Amino acid sequence: MAEPTPELPRGRLRVAFRLVRALVKHHKRLFFTAVGGAAVFAACTVLSAAIVRLITDDLIAPRFNNGSVSKSRVLVVLGALVLVGFVRAAAVVVRRTWAGRTAWRVTERLTGQVVQRLAQQPVPWHRQQTTGDLITRAGVDAEAATAILSPLPFATGVVVLVGLSSSWLVFTDLPLGLAAVAVFPALIALNINYQRRVEKYFNTAQDELGKLSAAVHESFDGVAVVKSFGAEGRETERLAQIARRLREARLGAVRLRSTFESLLDGIPTVVNACLLVGGAYRVRSGDMTIGELTSFIYLFTLLVFPLRLIGFALSEVPHSLAGWNRIQDLLKQPLVADPARLLQLNDDGIVRLEDLHFSHDGERQVLRGVNATIEAGRTVAVVGATGAGKTTLLHVIAGLIEADSGTISVPARGTRLVFQEPFLLAGSVQDNITLGAPIDQPTIDSALSIAEAEFLRDLPNGLATEIGERGVGLSGGQRQRLALARALACQPAVLLLDDTTSSLDPTTEAKVLANLRAALHETTVIAVASRPSTITLADDVLFLEEGVVVAHGRHDELMRDVSAYRKLIEAFEHDRAELEAELQS
Amino acid sequence: MSEPISRWTTVETIGRGVRAAPALRTGFGLTLALAMVGAGGRVTIPILIQQAIDRGFRKDDVQVDVVALLAGIALVVIAIASLAQRTAVARLGRRSEEALYGLRVRLFEHIHRLSIADHTEERKGALVARVTSDVETLAQFFQWGGLAWLLDGTLMLMVAGVMLSYDWVLALVAFAIAAPLGYVLRRVQSHLGRAYDKSRTTNAEVMTQISETIEGAETLRAYDATQEYAHRVEAASHERANAYIRAGTIGAFLFPSGEVFSVFTVAGVVTVGLLRGPSSGLTAGAMVGFLFLTYRFLEPIAEFTEVLDQTQTAVAGMRRVLGVLEIPIGPPEPDQPQILPAGPLAVSLDRVDFSYRTRGDEDEPPVLLGVTAHIPAGQQVAIVGETGSGKTTLGRLIARLADPTAGTVSVGGISLTRVANEDLRNRLTVVPQEPFLFEGTIAANLSFAHPNLSLADLERSIDVLDLRDWLDTLPDGINTEVGSRGSQLSAGERQLVALIRASLVDPAVLVLDEATSSVDALTEVRLARALERLASGRTTIAIAHRLSTAARADRVLVLHHGRLVDDGPHLELVQRGGVYARMYEAWVASTTVA
Repeated sequence: MAEPTPELPRGRLRVAFRLVRALVKHHKRLFFTAVGGAAVFAACTVLSAAIVRLITDDLIAPRFNNGSVSKSRVLVVLGALVLVGFVRAAAVVVRRTWAGRTAWRVTERLTGQVVQRLAQQPVPWHRQQTTGDLITRAGVDAEAATAILSPLPFATGVVVLVGLSSSWLVFTDLPLGLAAVAVFPALIALNINYQRRVEKYFNTAQDELGKLSAAVHESFDGVAVVKSFGAEGRETERLAQIARRLREARLGAVRLRSTFESLLDGIPTVVNACLLVGGAYRVRSGDMTIGELTSFIYLFTLLVFPLRLIGFALSEVPHSLAGWNRIQDLLKQPLVADPARLLQLNDDGIVRLEDLHFSHDGERQVLRGVNATIEAGRTVAVVGATGAGKTTLLHVIAGLIEADSGTISVPARGTRLVFQEPFLLAGSVQDNITLGAPIDQPTIDSALSIAEAEFLRDLPNGLATEIGERGVGLSGGQRQRLALARALACQPAVLLLDDTTSSLDPTTEAKVLANLRAALHETTVIAVASRPSTITLADDVLFLEEGVVVAHGRHDELMRDVSAYRKLIEAFEHDRAELEAELQS
Repeated sequence: MSEPISRWTTVETIGRGVRAAPALRTGFGLTLALAMVGAGGRVTIPILIQQAIDRGFRKDDVQVDVVALLAGIALVVIAIASLAQRTAVARLGRRSEEALYGLRVRLFEHIHRLSIADHTEERKGALVARVTSDVETLAQFFQWGGLAWLLDGTLMLMVAGVMLSYDWVLALVAFAIAAPLGYVLRRVQSHLGRAYDKSRTTNAEVMTQISETIEGAETLRAYDATQEYAHRVEAASHERANAYIRAGTIGAFLFPSGEVFSVFTVAGVVTVGLLRGPSSGLTAGAMVGFLFLTYRFLEPIAEFTEVLDQTQTAVAGMRRVLGVLEIPIGPPEPDQPQILPAGPLAVSLDRVDFSYRTRGDEDEPPVLLGVTAHIPAGQQVAIVGETGSGKTTLGRLIARLADPTAGTVSVGGISLTRVANEDLRNRLTVVPQEPFLFEGTIAANLSFAHPNLSLADLERSIDVLDLRDWLDTLPDGINTEVGSRGSQLSAGERQLVALIRASLVDPAVLVLDEATSSVDALTEVRLARALERLASGRTTIAIAHRLSTAARADRVLVLHHGRLVDDGPHLELVQRGGVYARMYEAWVASTTVA
């Protein structure tokens, strides 16, 4: 919603009309029920004015001027008053209920469309988007797009009301009616003008509030730094500046509002006073009854509030339009081809990589011709310096991203990747392991035991314990073991581990690696590894340098034959060796 | 976050709120008086009609000049009333905005001065909420609810007064018939409140699920769970629509119930009026006037029930805001501070205990227990221990980001409780584990050390730490934007900035919380180089995560579950075979190639 509200061209009404037609396309019945309710409300409002006239002319006047009034007349008129009141109330209920239904069902539909689209787009597309932007489109924008629908039936009803009232006023008394009707456009224009002008202040205030909130987050997050440099006063002043801008924007709205509120209250009152004088002439000449004049003023008073709603509804148009456009942008983006389609599936359990190239945006080369054949059931450590392409290689094998060229053949039974940063969803432990897939309990049990993740059973509610935002917090190592269990529960042919065991303490890591070897004879494990202890547990090492496999073989062979590899491994030990030398000297 | 004072009543809360934000009280009497005059404008028409009918519209004789005269008087009244109302609205708006601004600034100031013990992870969100969403509930209240109290409240009083003055019997009839409306509205309102609570919960659920499916897109894709989770969002979105539609349906009955009551009230008033007739002194004009007044009287009631609800929310918000202001500010300034001696400073810990303040009443286990150690001036000390051993907290106590719950921390022989904050900040500096950078340039972040630093000072310190070669690799040198929380820099580079920032203070004591995250080799070299230069000649206390750092220090302090269990040089501790020796063995094992 950071985007500025677009300035609408002159055809605000036409734009609004087209937007609404697109929104309610699939929910016409709901929408027109609401509009129908609003129309009945409008008709009843005019009828109630007619009843005020009857009360004045047929009940009050005879009783107070002539001394008596017929009981039946009283019953009929007051009966009509109550009846019309009930119908009018029922019409409001129908209008509001169905307007809400329309708005929320349309929101539901839009949210669904966005979510489905997000689900269809593969990883490369997602990597090009910013998370916050997508969240806004699926959530806030969908609501913004439908914001126009809530006041709309009422606004439509108001148009009907203005039409009916105008006719009624004009039919009751032509000159006075015309005079009263002439005021409507002026009042509507005043309302619209006010809404537009106040909106600017509201938008500015909203922006400043967002900035204030971000700055407060930042400042409180960094409170340790603030305190260590004695900068409490300076930080307070920095935040106070933003708070001052917020105050100024709000004060602008207050000034505008106080003036317009008075005008919008005052003008109809002035008109009413003038109508009364005009009415006095018409009554004297016998063209009008006192009751008609009273109902005139009554109806005019009733119209003041609904008229304000037109301005309000129109002011929602730009927000709704912005939300709608942002959603349509997203839905119209073409589907990116799924990288997984390029994976060749085999039945022999081998992972075969031939001449794989990968670059970011065709520029930064990450993989420059990777070749490797990994037999079924092997455990392979992928080793290389930072930036050698280890993680990218794993993501290409998993079919998450698309190689620029080259071929990949993987077992048909599938691969499962454990990410470097495990992602846990808010929900139960069990749900985080299965991710909604029908996996039987023995499989889950064995996955937990291999991943050394049985501590999860000791949580307050066992595997049903909620984790994440609203539940139990897990440490980095615990999250990794849960993520590993998740992959194991799928029983894949190939397990891809991206530095998975690095956040475990050395003892637990050794146990996990031993479990993997003992339990998974047929599963191929391809693991990015940086600790010497992890590397030495693998059958083979795949040594990557600047996107190319420079060596593939046993660790001791590589230590003997490949000097770059030796250097890298020794660097891990270097720190300690240097230290020992230092201490001995 | 529960403050002990959360049991304040509504009246107490409002009283304390007004004292905390005195702008609210300034000239409130005048604002109220102006609002009363303004409300007079809105009963002018009913009175005018009554007067016109009774004085101008005689049987068969309409005196237009009388009606015109009355209308003329009414116009003057309306003009004055409109002006009064405008002034009242503007005054209320201005005062409340000023009050909220003052409240916000007080909160910023107070929260920044709270002890670090009050800034725990769990509380951070709550503190942010106090100055943003809670103050916003007050702002919303003043924009709508407060205004409604002012305008509609005075209007209802005024209308009731006019009704009573016309005919007290009819007025009482009107009040009696309308009274149950208040009860009905409260009932509907409480149902509505619950329905909206439920709606908000379902909405939060939808937003959480949406952000999860987006943030976790790669994981869901890698596990073929995309469709499953898309369906879950759709289901949650359906639930949300149901909840809001239900709440909307209840809300739809709110306004129309006022409608129904007003027709009954009008019917009642007309019936009683007709029965009593002109003999009771009632006039036709007053009867018609009553019709208008009845509608005017009932109009704001439905709105009022919403306002009551909003008022409760605002009072609750105010209560939470005041609660924060009641938390005593952390390490208090001494009354008569002692000046830290010049030159290098020693650090002493004497039976230091510490526990974090808890959210509820339950006792949090102590983080530090009876820690005693003397660190002579200029010594390089490393504090080691497992996660949760209390080593980070000990560093914070030495920097007086919080005071120990028992025992004393002294610097240069003076207890920290007797050292002025500013004096301490000039002599002791902390480099935190995850150095926090503010959005802005490197220069701006460095200037944070001291407000009066020149660009030349910054440049010089970069040379002193031998980091010129690093700075030259950045696109805009010292003017490079670091991004939100320093995200444009690598973890290692953020530490470099933090080191330079610390060096600008030129402290006698340096508390260094070593980072756990790994950094690339080149940055590692630069960090080590800069650190060595920064540490030399100063008392340095490193919270060490890497045992290589500990091994290089003059002396190692080993914490275990908050107690000091080992103290001595590296080699001695390894030979002694305690906690430290075990940690060292595990580290050696993990870095050894078989």
